[in-house]
Parts: sequence; C-alpha cells; structure tokens
Amino acid sequence: MNPLTRLQGRWSVPALSALLIAASYAVAQSTSPTAWADALMIAAAVVAGTPVLIKAWHALTAKVIGIDLLVSVAAIGAVLVGNYWEAAAVTFLFAVGHSLESATLNRTRAALAELIAVAPDVAVVMREGQQLEVPATEVAKGETVLVKNGARVPVDGVVSGGTGALDEASITGESMPVDKLSGDQVFAGTVSTGGFLQVTATGVGADTTLARIIHRVEEAQEAKARTHALMDRFSAWYTPAIIVLAVVVGLVTADVVLALTLLVIACPGALVISIPVSIVAGIGRGAKDGILIKGGEFLETSAKIDVVAVDKTGTLTEGRPRLTDVVALHPDIDGSEVLRMAARAEAGSEHPLARPVLEAAAEAGLPVLGLPSHTEPVPGKGIVASLDGHRIAVGNLPLIEVENHDGHDLDEAREVVAQLASAGRTPMVVACDGRVIGVVAVADRVRDDAAEMVARLHSVGVKKVVMMTGDIEPVGRAAAARVGIDEVLAGLLPEDKLRAVEDLQRQGHVVAMVGDGVNDAPALATADIGVAMGAAGTGVAIETADIALMKDDLLTLPEAVSLARRTVNTMRQNIAVALGTVAVLLAGVLFGGVTMAIGMLVHEVSVLVVIGNAMRLLRRPADNRPVGRRRAQLPEASPIRASASRMSSPRVPRGVTTPDSLR
Amino acid sequence: MTATSPTTITTALRAEGFSCPSCVAKIEKQVGRLKGVESVKVHFATARIVVVHDPAVASTDDLVAAVAKAGYTARPAAF
Repeated sequence: MNPLTRLQGRWSVPALSALLIAASYAVAQSTSPTAWADALMIAAAVVAGTPVLIKAWHALTAKVIGIDLLVSVAAIGAVLVGNYWEAAAVTFLFAVGHSLESATLNRTRAALAELIAVAPDVAVVMREGQQLEVPATEVAKGETVLVKNGARVPVDGVVSGGTGALDEASITGESMPVDKLSGDQVFAGTVSTGGFLQVTATGVGADTTLARIIHRVEEAQEAKARTHALMDRFSAWYTPAIIVLAVVVGLVTADVVLALTLLVIACPGALVISIPVSIVAGIGRGAKDGILIKGGEFLETSAKIDVVAVDKTGTLTEGRPRLTDVVALHPDIDGSEVLRMAARAEAGSEHPLARPVLEAAAEAGLPVLGLPSHTEPVPGKGIVASLDGHRIAVGNLPLIEVENHDGHDLDEAREVVAQLASAGRTPMVVACDGRVIGVVAVADRVRDDAAEMVARLHSVGVKKVVMMTGDIEPVGRAAAARVGIDEVLAGLLPEDKLRAVEDLQRQGHVVAMVGDGVNDAPALATADIGVAMGAAGTGVAIETADIALMKDDLLTLPEAVSLARRTVNTMRQNIAVALGTVAVLLAGVLFGGVTMAIGMLVHEVSVLVVIGNAMRLLRRPADNRPVGRRRAQLPEASPIRASASRMSSPRVPRGVTTPDSLR
Repeated sequence: MTATSPTTITTALRAEGFSCPSCVAKIEKQVGRLKGVESVKVHFATARIVVVHDPAVASTDDLVAAVAKAGYTARPAAF
C-alpha cells in the first residue's frame, strides 16, 4: 500500500462523515422536512460508526470489552433515543481521534521501526573466487563479504582488506562517517559512504550488534516502570467500574442518555497510554543518539541521579598509557639500561602498564629478548622477575621497600616518585637485587571533552562528579583538577570501587557509575545505574549495562541523564493530564454539562495531548549538537628529567593522566 | 528462536497500527485460540507479538492469519 492510498484510507471515513454532518445542518437550515436532516445525520453516524462496530464485533468474538464496543453501544443507544446529532458527533470524533492516534503513535515508534528497517537483507560474499549475492542471514562466520560504495554492511565483522568510510549513525548515533582500515570493527546496518571494504564476518543475523540493539530497545520499551504497573491496575479497574456505574445510574434515574454518556467516557484512553507512549518516545530518542536505556524503571532511576562516579582510565582518559619519563638513579647505570631492565622484567606481564614500557623500549631500539625465567606479579604493587640470576623489581615504593633488605637509602627515589606523581604520572621504581637503579613513569592523556562532560553533568543537575582511580592521590588530583571533578577517590583496587559506590549510596545518593563495562562490572552492577561507554564494540555491555552508550563519546553521558529527566517529566505531565481528564469528565457527566459529544471530544483531545507531549521527546534539544570526533590523537611523550616545574598548564591537558591501579 | 519443549518454538511477529491497548487482549485471545499455540504475549508499546507454538500444528502463517482476523497486519521478525 503506498502512503497516498493509506492516507486516503485513513481519512476517508472521517471526511465522508464530516460531509454528511455538514449536509445535515445545511438541510436543517432550509425548509425541507427534518426527516432529511435526521437521515443525513444517521448516515454520518453509520459511516463513522461502521468500522467501529466491526472492530467491536472482532473484540466481542475474542470476548474482550474494548472502547470500540462502548462507543458502538453509546452511538446505537443515542440513535434509538433520537439523539442523532450526538450519535454522529461521537462516532465522527472517535474516527478522527483514532486516525490521529494511529498516525502519531506510529511516529513515537519510528525510532525502532527505523532500526528494523536498516537491517540488511542481502550480502555479497566471495565463494570460490566468485562474487555471490546471498541473503544476509546466510553468510557464514569467517566468510569474506564485500561492501561497495553506497551498500549496507550486511554482517558484523572485521575489515580484512581495502579502505572506506562508513556512516554508523544507525548504531552509534554519530552523524559523521568513520574511516575504516584493516583490523577495524564494522557493524551490520551501517552504510558505506565511499571506498571498498572486504570484511571477515564475525556475527550474522541475530548475532549482530544491530540485532542486540533492536532487542534491547524492544525490551526496554516493553518493560514496565513501577508507575506504569500502577496505572495499568487503575485502568483495568476503571472501565468495568464505570460500566457498572452507567448501568446503575441508568436503572436508578431511568436517564438513558446519562448512562450512555458514562459509557463514552469509560475508556481510559489517556490513562492507559500516558506512560508507555512517553517511555517509547524517550527510549526511541535515546536509541537514535546511540544511548540505550534498559527500560522505564531505569529511566525513573536515572532521572534521580545526583552523583556520577567515573572510572578514570579509559573513561576520562584515552586508556592508552605511554611512557613519559626515565630517570636513572644509580651511578653505573644509564637511562636506557633502566628502561631495558624494566621492559625485560615486564615482558611476561599481562598488566596494562607493561605495554607502554615495552613499546617505549622497542621504539628506543632496546632489544628485549626472551622472557624472564620467573615472574611473580605482586597485586597492587608491581612485578618481580628473575633475569640472568638477578632479581628485578618494577613497581611502587611499597614493593621496593619490601625488596630493599639491605636498607639502601630510598630518599632519592621517594623524591622523584613524588615529583612525577604530582605531575599526574604513574611512576614505577626499578630495582635490581634490592637496589634502586631508576624510575620510569607512564601517563595516559585526559580526553579533550572530559571537562566539558563534567560541566554539562553539573548543568543537568548532577550534584557531584566523583573520579575513581587506582592511582595514588597526587596523580588522581592532577587529573581531577584539570577536569573540574568534585571529589577524588584514589588508590582503589577493583574491589574498593564497589565499596566506594556503596559508601556513596549509604550517604543517600543515587549513584551512576561509568566504566567500560568489562573490568569494572561489579561496581557497575552495584551502582543504581551502571553506564557502559563505547558499548558498540562489546555485546556483553549492550546486554548488561543499565545505560549503554554506543559511542565512545563522553558528551553522550550528560545527554543520557538529561533525556531521562525529560522523559520522566513527560510521564508525570501525562499522568496529570490523564487523571485530570478522568476527574473532569466524571464530574462533568454526573453534575451535568458534559454531553456525549463533549465527552468524546475531551477524551480524544486528552489522548492526543498525551501523545503530542511524548512526541516532544523525539525532537533533539538545540543545546546538545553531537560532537563528531575522530580517532583520538595520542600525546607526544617527551622523556624529561622529572621536575615539578614542567607541569602542564591546567588549560591544556598534555598527556598527563595515568592508568589505574598498579596491579 | 528458542525451543521451550521438544515440539514448540518461539516466534516473534511485528505488527502495525496498534493504537488502543484493547487490541492487546483482542490479539492475545484470537491467537491463543489456535490449536498448537502454547502461549502468546502482545506488547502494546512496541507492537510486538511473541508466540510459543508448535510449528507442525500452528505454522507462522497461521499466526499471521489469526492476527489479521483480529484486524491487524503482522510480519514474522527476522530476529
């Protein structure tokens, strides 16, 4: 069916009905007998009422008493008692209202419909050297798929050849195309805006990020908030109660018109849809911007967030620490030897701090051959490795103090460590057989928009932004000061983060915890709202986080909080409108003044007001244009002799933050 | 699609044109009456219909037909 015929179909009934009503009035004004006017009025009621009657019949055969049946009974009753105008008006208003409702309700569901529409249907695969077009769901994992300019990516996968740019708006809400090179992740449902990509399929059909998003959005829109369940119970009770009231009133007063009028207002239209329509619109709006909220319950909680706890590494920072300093502290050993020793000791380590040391050693052309004969990670402190019969320790001061059996002087090392830390770097002392030989330091760059994110969180009503980090206090402070963080919780082990969240909750705060959804899962689960950033790449985060931010963009966080608040406000306004309407109509009918036509008019208007109010959520507020961001640039690490005077100015964050938790 | 017992599967249909929540009960009863349908849940918010059924007795086409009988258009969901 094309849109035009659908439109004609939707509006032909009310239009014809309106025409007949107008004709009836015209005839009534003329000298013709009133029978003609009445006949036209009845015809109008029949035209507008027939579809209602058919629906009512469908419902009855399924043993359901719905609004269609109530309206049919009221209209037929009105015709029988000779209120032709009322019958026509009720059915006409109902037909118009109903058409408007379907049109607008479908609009509120548009976000989901669009997601479903971008699901790819065909894929071009390479099989036995031939290009072959197959249904997207029949691509096997590991097959190579070709994505040409303008085509939709049919599967989740990894680029194995070629280059191109993809519009990922359907997944991340990012409007700027993203360049893709070999090794990059691509998502089904994104569109090529140029270039030619060969993609190795990693996920097909229901196992794609797009399918997960669709499921998440559907489940979120279906999940009922507490208020919602309450309203549902109220409406379930309301309709039968009014029907009983109508029957009783009819029997007691013998006022048939009054009884019929009660029937008209017995369907709690606005009551029933006030909440779901707000939630569908709010969650749909979020999905378009790459913000997945788990459901109404979580919207309500998110609207109450007053503390946001942010994990520093990888969230406030880029999460790629680089080596910044090498300081030699032993007369016979130079800086490059200190770095080489540290790199060799770290060669077998899994810890995030090992990588920058190894990378720096490789860049400096220092060979790191083989693995240490024995390595022993010391959680929270560092690592101890056996190399060529020597015992090399790399880690924080407590580790070195333990290693330092012979009581060598550690003052110089302490001073250097303090200087580096106050500059926001993570220092690691290197010791050989218990003697300090030097210090290496790494730093992780604060993201450009971290300060903006904190400012926006404050402006949407978050009282306190707390930074959690495994770093020692001065390192944490250095980063926090630059970003405008209210409170720093430093020196935390992963299990401490969970406790820190609980402490904040005990102080009566509603806490949102932001992390990557993988390493900080326990704290995310404990927080009132767990927010996973950059979730597009991890299926787990999409499934589990209370709020999943698909893009790795800090500024979507304040947007999510603000959206939650606006959605909850909309819900409240809608409930007020719905309850107000019910009260006014009941009073109006029982104390006179509200006729059937007016009752229907008020009822339909209230429904449309509720839908219209929810639709305001679909508009993007003017103040948060999404900021398109390219891949983060890494800082130039400049090895310096540690000195506190070399601190960067607060305005320009230069490679000065650090990875969490020295083991 | 997940199996809930040896012979039943779960099928999701996506429907159009839900406007009043009374359609929920209507469709649930209409589809629930079919032989071979174990359970049916209609979600008003998303216009999604989730049916647990025995495909040998009630095929997906039968489900779509039952929804049509209640006055609505539905299509089986790809995922």
